[in-house]
Amino acid sequence: MAGTELEILKGITLEIKSGESVAIIGASGSGKSTLLGLLAGLDEASGGSVTINGTDLGTLDEDGRARFRGEHIGFVFQSFQLLPALTALENVMLPLELQGQSEVTQKAEHYLKRVELDARMGHYPLQLSGGEQQRVALARAFASRPAILFADEPTGNLDSRTGDRIIDLVFELNREEGTTLVLVTHDSALADRCDRRLRLDGGALVKE
Amino acid sequence: MSMTATRMLARDWRGGELGVLVMALVLAVGVVSGISAFTTKLQNALVQESHRFLAADTVVSSGRPLPEEWLQQADRDGLQRAVTLSFPSMVYAGDDNMYLASIKAVSETYPLRGELTYGVEPFGETFPASVGPAQGEVWLDSRLFSLLDVTLQDQITIGEHSFLVVAVARTEPDQGASFYGLGPRVLMHYDDIPATGVVQPGSRVEYRQLYAGPEATVRSFSLWLQPLLKDGQKALSVEEGQPSISSALARAESFLLLAGSLAVVLAGVAVALAARRFSERHHDYVAIIKSLGATSGAVNRLYGTSLLLLGLIATALGCGLGFTIQAVFFELFAEQLPVQPGSSGIRPYAIGAATSITCLFCFAWPPLRRLGQASPLRVLRRDLPLEGSRAISDYVLGLLAIALLMWWYSGDWKLTLAVLAGLAVTAGLGLGLALTLLKGGRLVGMSAGNIWRLALAGLQRRGLENALQVVIFSMAIMMLLVLLLVRTSLIDEWQTQLPADAPNHFMLNIGPESVQPIEDLLSDEGITSEAFYPMIRGRIMSVNGEELISTEDVEEQRRQRETNLTWSNGLPKDNRLVAGQWWPSGTDQAVVSLEESFAERLDIKVGDSVGFLVGSQPLEAQVTSIRALDWQSMRPNFYLVFPPKLLASYPSTFMTSFHLEAADKAFLNRFIRSFPTVTVVEMDAVIEQVRGIINQVSAAINLVLVVILAAGGLVLVAGVQASVDARMHESAILRALGAPRRLILGSLLIEFATLGLFAGLLAAAAAELSVYILQTLVMDMRYTPTLWIWPLGIVSGALVVGSLGVFNCRKVVSVAPVTVLREL
Repeated sequence: MAGTELEILKGITLEIKSGESVAIIGASGSGKSTLLGLLAGLDEASGGSVTINGTDLGTLDEDGRARFRGEHIGFVFQSFQLLPALTALENVMLPLELQGQSEVTQKAEHYLKRVELDARMGHYPLQLSGGEQQRVALARAFASRPAILFADEPTGNLDSRTGDRIIDLVFELNREEGTTLVLVTHDSALADRCDRRLRLDGGALVKE
Repeated sequence: MSMTATRMLARDWRGGELGVLVMALVLAVGVVSGISAFTTKLQNALVQESHRFLAADTVVSSGRPLPEEWLQQADRDGLQRAVTLSFPSMVYAGDDNMYLASIKAVSETYPLRGELTYGVEPFGETFPASVGPAQGEVWLDSRLFSLLDVTLQDQITIGEHSFLVVAVARTEPDQGASFYGLGPRVLMHYDDIPATGVVQPGSRVEYRQLYAGPEATVRSFSLWLQPLLKDGQKALSVEEGQPSISSALARAESFLLLAGSLAVVLAGVAVALAARRFSERHHDYVAIIKSLGATSGAVNRLYGTSLLLLGLIATALGCGLGFTIQAVFFELFAEQLPVQPGSSGIRPYAIGAATSITCLFCFAWPPLRRLGQASPLRVLRRDLPLEGSRAISDYVLGLLAIALLMWWYSGDWKLTLAVLAGLAVTAGLGLGLALTLLKGGRLVGMSAGNIWRLALAGLQRRGLENALQVVIFSMAIMMLLVLLLVRTSLIDEWQTQLPADAPNHFMLNIGPESVQPIEDLLSDEGITSEAFYPMIRGRIMSVNGEELISTEDVEEQRRQRETNLTWSNGLPKDNRLVAGQWWPSGTDQAVVSLEESFAERLDIKVGDSVGFLVGSQPLEAQVTSIRALDWQSMRPNFYLVFPPKLLASYPSTFMTSFHLEAADKAFLNRFIRSFPTVTVVEMDAVIEQVRGIINQVSAAINLVLVVILAAGGLVLVAGVQASVDARMHESAILRALGAPRRLILGSLLIEFATLGLFAGLLAAAAAELSVYILQTLVMDMRYTPTLWIWPLGIVSGALVVGSLGVFNCRKVVSVAPVTVLREL
């Protein structure tokens, strides 16, 4: 309603250590996506602060946060979020190009090989299965070697076998790259594979 | 980033996202550059045409011999040159026959422009001649053969020299549009003049030097010559073309400029709509790349580059289209145009490119620029609204751009104003009316069946959006109706102006005693003539007692003028009173009626007293009325009309005009033999030329209408597409819930057709207003309300918008709902 302020997240204090994997679980509407958006610098908090690697995201404007995301953060989404106009290889190259990195093709190919998609690099997203699209998204997320990877229901749109394969890959890559992992999920079993579980209820963290 | 931009464009093109945007741009550039190239070339042709009427590019005339040095300078400059000398002289044949003829002596190089024609029998077929008469030879006017009773190879005498008659003089390019007071023509060689001994100092003669050559050389030569001209030496302007043709072409040009301006507006609206949809569809795209680290600057660069690439491609294609359009137009004209129009140069295509840049910058860029501000949070929450997707500044910028483009393009603020007024009425009143009508529609729908309830509820739910859509549809329909109306009245007016039986011959110098016999002869031959008008030469001397200056050398508007006077009891046919009152029949008062432009030139108003000299007698009359008349009607027209009783005592001749079929031209020979003193002026060739050109102009106008219809169609398509996503979404959900195909398509048809119907209604009203302003202010035509556009606007609006809507949403009933929902 106009004029009424809605408090979505309440009194959340949370510290995630480098290299740690954390699962955020909770029912629909509990504020998981809002928290993820704030933690990843996709949204601005109306109060409080988010600090990553010593940078207070609240002090940055949207362009500053965009640069920060490009340098430090990787994403994997439930709906893959690949650009339909670009091939698998071009999708993986995109964040590297945005950062102005060199040898982007070689780097992108390396990560696509790593997710076993070397044979499908020239395919467009619509020509790939759901599992393949999510693997491209994984390659894209890791290619820029982020310090922290945010995964939002990464298996939500996949069948359980494909989903399991994707999750295995996420954890493998996470280990190999030494990335911090923040995973939002409904799936309790998936959450159990993380170092720590945080449950959100009505916008507040509750003990399990 | 530019690679990404290219890839993005290529992909969007394959996905059909850019179709309307590119087509709208191509059409805008094509129509603008095509019409501009066409009008430029047409103007070139007109200038050349007027050169033809001078027989040269520039001409100097004088009553005294012109300096030889000027000709030598022309030789040094590499110009072509010719000389002519015209004078009246008696021509003798045998012992008894003589006649006062109008002699024209020409040098070998005459004419430098245009064509000289001759015949081998009087009033017979004409042939082009490469040179005029050789020394010792003459060509005679058709009439002189019977007047002098000679045939080809006979001898005639001018002054002290005899000449051999070798041809019939038919037409000279510079014989002049005015034929009053001209005697029959004799063409002879310039070098024969001394031998005749008729030209003495003080003779009434006209010397002319004619020059032609490359445009720049002629211009610099004219500049050199200008300061050397003394009193009585005059450089002739090239603007003295054919009034009928240039007036028809000027109106056609106005129409084409109007059409071009409307095309720009339509294309601008289509571009804006398509760009908005493009931007809405790219919101998710931008959210993703922003989540991956793209700054708003990078996003702007990406879309800026894409737009630039798109603009370049569309401009190139559009210029190609423009070139084709003007080429097709000239293909239509090729047979009718007597001159080659030359090249239009690069300017029309530069105008096209500028139009493209303006369209892109003012219509397409604002919605795309806002993509830079898109929130990356949309990657998590697709339900986030698009920020400021419809900023008021966009509309202001768009409107300003439309106004400036139209003004720049047409160079006519009245025309711009007329169209903008129509648009403003459509937009302002339209929005209010559309909302009210849509509300009313909902009330009707409540009591109606299933399909109707669904459709009208849909209309009501997106009330404001629908109202905007109605406004856009009605703008497009309005502009098409305006164009259709103006085109129809233009062509109708031309056709009534020059009907198939329009008079094409004039008879002058008819003595009072010959009027009845000629009337009888014409009626015996089955030829219908106009009324016989008396003609008296008179000179206007003073206004309200103030003497007018008599000199003819200065460009003074208010000076003494010699003209033809006539008398009439009633207002002459096709004349219209614009001020004052016509006199009662049979009046004996000293009153006069003036033609509008004549009165304006001399600054005379109703009530003023004007002094004349008729013959050697003064005459004073009061102005009681001012008349407007149509100079292109090919009927006898007069500047000054008096009551019969006032002029009855002055000696007069009569004139009339009549229509004669080409097959009946032999009648003229018989006629001249019976009435040797009457001058017959043949205008049939000129009229045929005018009619031919007007037919071609009409064809060009129809062609432009088709192109503009396509632009209007694009706006409708873009308008429908703008709301297709939301409607598809709802319909897919209904389909998933089991709604039958008939219900969905039926409700979509009703929804879109209702929008089209309201749009058509508004468009008809706005079109009437615009056409009223256009015809009265811009095109100098008479306005009459048109009833047929109302049903046409309403029915075509409902049909076209309804079927476009259903066509664009057809997928929703042929593809699985989940596919439709996923693709949106």
